[in-house]
Amino acid sequence: MLFPTFYLPGLGQGMTIALVAVVHVLISHGFAIGVVSIIVLLEHLALRRGDAELAGLAKNMLKPVVIIVTAVGAVTGAGIWFTVSVLAPGGIGYMLRVFFWPWFIEWMAFTLEVLVLLPYYFLWERMRAKQAGLHVALGWSYVAVALASAFLISGILGFMLTPDGWVQNQRLVSAFFNPTFWPQLALRFLGGLAMGGLWSLAYVLFSRHIGADLRQRVMRLLGGWVLVNGALCALAVWIYLGRIPQTYATHKIFAVLTSRLSQDAWLLWLGNILAALCIAAVALAAWLRWRRVALVLIIPALILTAGLVSEFERAREFVRGPYLMPGYMYANQIPLAQSDYLNRHGFLANAAWYQPQPPGLTPRAPAGHALFMANCGVCHTIGGLNDIRDRLKGRTQPSVTVMVRRTKQMVPFMPSFSGTPAESLTMAAYLYELSGERRSLEAVPPISRKGVGHE
Amino acid sequence: MNNLHDLLLAKPFSDQVMELLLFGSFALHLLFVLLMLGTAMIAVFFFVHSWLTGFSYELRWDKRVLSIHLALKSLAVVLGVAPLLIIQVLWSVPFLTAASIMAPYWLALLGLMIFAFLSLDILGHKMDVHPVRHLIFGVLGLAALVAVPAVFTAVLSLMENPDKWSLVAGKGFAAEPALLFHWLMRYLHILGAAALFGGAFHYFFSTRGAQERHYHLSHWMVVATLFQVVVGVLLLVSVMGRLTPAVITAVTVGVFAAMLLLGLAFYRHPEVDKRRMASALVLLPLILVSMLMARQYLQHQAVAPMQAALEARAQEARRRLAPLQATALRGFQAHLATVYDNGETIYANACAFCHGQDGGGQGSEAATLIVPPEKLNAVRAQRQYLYQVVLKGVPGSGMPYFSVFDRGKLDSLLDYMNASFGSEALPQPPSRQGDLAAAKMVFAKTCAVCHGEQGQVSVFGGGLRPAPPDLTRYGLTPQRAYAVITQGYDGTVMQPFNALPEATRWGLVGLLASLRVKP
Repeated sequence: MLFPTFYLPGLGQGMTIALVAVVHVLISHGFAIGVVSIIVLLEHLALRRGDAELAGLAKNMLKPVVIIVTAVGAVTGAGIWFTVSVLAPGGIGYMLRVFFWPWFIEWMAFTLEVLVLLPYYFLWERMRAKQAGLHVALGWSYVAVALASAFLISGILGFMLTPDGWVQNQRLVSAFFNPTFWPQLALRFLGGLAMGGLWSLAYVLFSRHIGADLRQRVMRLLGGWVLVNGALCALAVWIYLGRIPQTYATHKIFAVLTSRLSQDAWLLWLGNILAALCIAAVALAAWLRWRRVALVLIIPALILTAGLVSEFERAREFVRGPYLMPGYMYANQIPLAQSDYLNRHGFLANAAWYQPQPPGLTPRAPAGHALFMANCGVCHTIGGLNDIRDRLKGRTQPSVTVMVRRTKQMVPFMPSFSGTPAESLTMAAYLYELSGERRSLEAVPPISRKGVGHE
Repeated sequence: MNNLHDLLLAKPFSDQVMELLLFGSFALHLLFVLLMLGTAMIAVFFFVHSWLTGFSYELRWDKRVLSIHLALKSLAVVLGVAPLLIIQVLWSVPFLTAASIMAPYWLALLGLMIFAFLSLDILGHKMDVHPVRHLIFGVLGLAALVAVPAVFTAVLSLMENPDKWSLVAGKGFAAEPALLFHWLMRYLHILGAAALFGGAFHYFFSTRGAQERHYHLSHWMVVATLFQVVVGVLLLVSVMGRLTPAVITAVTVGVFAAMLLLGLAFYRHPEVDKRRMASALVLLPLILVSMLMARQYLQHQAVAPMQAALEARAQEARRRLAPLQATALRGFQAHLATVYDNGETIYANACAFCHGQDGGGQGSEAATLIVPPEKLNAVRAQRQYLYQVVLKGVPGSGMPYFSVFDRGKLDSLLDYMNASFGSEALPQPPSRQGDLAAAKMVFAKTCAVCHGEQGQVSVFGGGLRPAPPDLTRYGLTPQRAYAVITQGYDGTVMQPFNALPEATRWGLVGLLASLRVKP
């Protein structure tokens, strides 16, 4: 408890970060990388063929993209960081130090991205008239900068799952070029291109300001684009999954299906196959220029794509299990070595923000509550998502005590409890009280121990 | 404050360089923030103005202002990345603490910004066709946008007052009137600066050919400057105790430059237009830099000593933690080597601490439980029944639910248990002959109350915690069954029936074996 961490009621820390992250990925990958690449490609083709209608289509597509990318994409990107700053300050505080340089260079990349995108957008007419080639080059350089920023982010994200040599040598190069770096970069870029293809296809299918002939040509182009990039992305995902240590990879079914559906793994396969088929079908329909079929399938395909993105990000974040930074820090932002220290010297005695009598709201058991929030609050809520009371339903007090002592052994993706044995009892007693099992026990009249079974 | 984290010690540069970087990157960010915010104010203000005058003139200018806003806001957002990064490294604990205390507002920034940006983008779209609709978007968007610096200034004001943290964390800003006043002035000063910078930017650079707007903007600048003077004086009052010669010098330079700029706005002469623009280009950054210098000096004084003290503690923490690092790393490697994808590993880690590695119910935690863990090596049950027990747990006992493992893992666990303990074999009839007739009577009269007449749990039994097992699907080895009948099951309503004749008890064991439905 180095920080007075705010615990978001209802959704909880993890889900909130995830929601912001998924929106950002959909836009940054799908629009900033994907749709803009397609716009530049269309403009490039229009220039080579002297096709003014095609160039007009590209220009019409750009305006909404610029608005979405600058208003929602950029803000949610910074927003992930904003969210993490208050929901996991210890984690981000350390990550920023490990990755100061990539982060700093990322700032330049972001700025450059905007500095290239703005003239590409604002000077479209003026440059097309005189320096059309330069304008296309500006477009391609935007795609290059966007790729560079994906490059930087992939290093940081990959580190959080497979830090590899960094754990021993603490060198930035080991941390950045970790085993999942290249496949993750490839899958993000290719996935972005494929998603961009779907969004562009939706625009082309629904737009009323586009001639029938042009629509047919662009449909064919986009259909092929989605098929090729989608297949390559799937390949990259497969390679990526192969690079994840088995310890983590084995949680991927639970990561997506959760306790509620964990016994029905077929649902996961069914969902993924359906999504892949739907996307392939809409791409094929576009390639064959079957507009009606594509029109029917495009909305489900986009929804399923968002589902695939959420699934991937959820699994990637979840499977690293008890760690935020494997080998250094647990998911609850307690460094591994510090956890050992706290087990001997006490958690609350070393907490910066623990007050036995907090002003204002006073929970029934301040010590137990503080221990619970610091140890478990990053994933569990009281009364919201992953409610701890549901998790402890039916348990006796001694069994809660054992579970608290054995979290990591029992459930391999939960961190160990940090604190002394006495503190673990304090937390267990608090949780037992919280679970409501005591009250339900009191409701049952005590059973007489005499006179049963004596003939 | 006992601070154990050693995260404060990894720094890319010395503090001086970091502060310089913070200053430079923040100045760049703030410049675009002020221009953007000022532009938004001007856009909405003049949209209303145009509308009231019947859109008669200069709508093209109004539209251009909004596309300038789109560009400025994009830059303002991305340029914010560097100062946020640097401040979170340079003054990590003060900054992240202040942000955490203000967390709900801090998180609201996201929604505010997205809403504001989208609304203002909508404002520019066909503004002359649907004026009412666009007025609503403009006003709401501007309101959201104007709220954004309120949060940032609150976090920074709080960061610079570490002595007020715990009070504000408990009771909110209202508990600290002095801090509230300082924040309010600071916030208003930012709004005033935005109005002034936005006004000056458009006055000098975007109103060529829009004389009417040009004229209006000179008034706008005068009002903004006067506002800044009043708020600035009050802001200085709020930090009176902290003023140093450096702060006073920086503020004086800033005020002087602002007065010069104001003079330029009134000195109108077409022939010296170019020179006026060049002077404005020098003066505007000068105002910004000098005022930010004053701010940075104040911030340094407030935060640097605390950060230094924290870092000294972190050094000590690093020494204390050093001997534990090796153990922690070994634990991590052991975790990496333990893959929960097979029954053997799952049993050894998630089950054995209660049920014992040999299934004898004597794991290291067994003695701490009121209801002793079942001796798994004596269980003879249907697989589906065991699966349900493992999946859902036994309420009222220590047995938790294990839906944290997917079906494949639980199947593997059950396979392992069957192979190791024969848990899915059929219960054998006892080797000792018992009194079956007496056993049937006892069962019907006593056992059936909970276990049900046919061994399927009775309604009463189902209400117990833990409830008895379904004897048609769950059995035990004869020795274990005899032991449970004789000694009872601790922590449950299963009594020791040692008063029954031995032959009756063995008869019950035989009866149980016959109750159990085949596989």
